[in-house]
Amino acid sequence: MLEPLIPNNVVCHALEAMIFVSIACSILGVIISRMALSSIGFTMSHAAFAGAAIGMFVGGNAQAAAIAFSMGVAALIGPISDKAKMAADATLGVLFAMSMAVAVFLISYMEYMGRGLSASALLFGDVISLYREEIYALAAVCGLSIIFVLAFYKEISAIMFNMKIAEAAGIRVKLVYYILLFIIALSVALSLNIVGGLLIFVLLVTPASIASQFCFNVKSMFVVAPVVALLVSIFGVWAGFEFTLPVAPLVALLLTAVFALSVMLSFKRRINTKIH
Amino acid sequence: MALIDLKGIYTAYEGGDKAVIKNLSLHVDQGEYVVIGGPNSAGKTTLLESMNGLVKITHGSASVCGLDVSRSADEVRKRVGYVIQNFYFDPFTPFTVEQVVMMGRFGRLGLLKQPSKQDYEAADRAIRRVGIEDLVHKTIGTLSGGQQQKTMIAHNLAKEPEVMMLDEPFSNLDFHAREYLQGVFKDLVRDGIPTLIVAHAFDGLPDIPIHLVVMNSGTITYDMNCTAGEVEDIIRKECKVNGRCSSR
Ligand SMILES: Nc1ncnc2c1ncn2[C@@H]1O[C@H](COP(=O)(O)OP(=O)(O)OP(=O)(O)O)[C@@H](O)[C@H]1O
Ligand SMILES: [Mg+2]
Repeated sequence: MLEPLIPNNVVCHALEAMIFVSIACSILGVIISRMALSSIGFTMSHAAFAGAAIGMFVGGNAQAAAIAFSMGVAALIGPISDKAKMAADATLGVLFAMSMAVAVFLISYMEYMGRGLSASALLFGDVISLYREEIYALAAVCGLSIIFVLAFYKEISAIMFNMKIAEAAGIRVKLVYYILLFIIALSVALSLNIVGGLLIFVLLVTPASIASQFCFNVKSMFVVAPVVALLVSIFGVWAGFEFTLPVAPLVALLLTAVFALSVMLSFKRRINTKIH
Repeated sequence: MALIDLKGIYTAYEGGDKAVIKNLSLHVDQGEYVVIGGPNSAGKTTLLESMNGLVKITHGSASVCGLDVSRSADEVRKRVGYVIQNFYFDPFTPFTVEQVVMMGRFGRLGLLKQPSKQDYEAADRAIRRVGIEDLVHKTIGTLSGGQQQKTMIAHNLAKEPEVMMLDEPFSNLDFHAREYLQGVFKDLVRDGIPTLIVAHAFDGLPDIPIHLVVMNSGTITYDMNCTAGEVEDIIRKECKVNGRCSSR
């Protein structure tokens, strides 16, 4: 999509991917941080990992299997939390452990059988060798996240405020919450190839945390978080290629630096002892 | 017209060891001012939540605003105001009073609909009715307990409910605010909206006929009209007869 501006194909794809991933993850990250759901990052990255292992094991397409398995796990988060009467965070822990067990089991088994599995792409991500289709998928997920948040903004904001009060107000809390968990999980699963399971966490949590240093209001957080993530990502891609540094870790470190800076500069901690 | 009609309902919590509401019947008409009293753990909160479908009714029939609560709980909640007993908003809650009051409209608006001028006007009226105009731009977590309580009452008034339920709405309020809000509730009743108030203190009740409901261990032991002055004595007597006033 940015080819006319950037002649180098590799750089162009990397930039496009980082733009879509950072926008989707940071917007959803605002919801995730407010609702204490950040372990969804761990859970989904390991679900994708387990899916890839299953794909390899049955001799199919590892990437497709990773996405299919993640979507399955994503769809389970809400209903399991309800049935088991647990906080979603605890369900995420259980599903994380299950995914890890499936992955380790299959990888050990395949090693035993003499077939290896390379997990490094899923753990560390890879912005250099992206297919056109992957970029399209990311664009779709980014669009879906934005549309979802805009379309259900009323319900999402009420749920972020207080689930019980939202329910008493007559909002269809369960329906929206399930869709919410599913979209978050899906975005995370698709973003994994780009930034990897280890770094997705930064994109989910850090831009929202930066925004929370300056915003008193949830509306502005939904704007500030993606803008910060976008600017840092673009700078990171440029710097990465200019100085031949690994792009995703660089973006993660830059975001963390911005967070540190924002904590120091935040006016939220200012104490006002005015008498009149 | 009966806006609330409960016939022999039972309610139990998942994982609880027994029914919390037992064989309870209640009838509330348009424009009634209902006071619900009774000792701690009598089941007052559970009764309110059964009526708006937040807690499942296991037996019996319950109709609220002409709707079957078990079948159309979502629809009932769109029409019933409910100020919950306990809430806590951390100081960093990123919502202003104005936004929280507006959320009262969201349920009845339905999915995918944007608030219209009408909705903003209703929220504005509710804010002025409760007298929190000066707080609208403050974030809710930074307010005092009483100010938060008023905000939640405004949130429910903005809904323009057909039935109003309040669970200990006065617990955080100074006497001036209590008197003022009693006036607000009296106006609701005058407009025909039945108002049900769970309370433990009964000073400042309005000078209108009061439908007094006293609960003990999950059932209603007193259900009659009385005057404001009689409420406290009747509840004392009821609790003594049933011997549970300071149980546990
Ligand atoms: N979520 C729950 N799970 C299991 N039992 C519950 C639950 N909520 C309430 N109960 C039980 O139901 C009974 C009635 O509780 P409820 O909160 O309705 O009392 P109440 O009359 O509102 O008391 P209070 O005056 O203290 O507010 C209590 O014995 C309580 O332990
Ligand atoms: Mg109670």
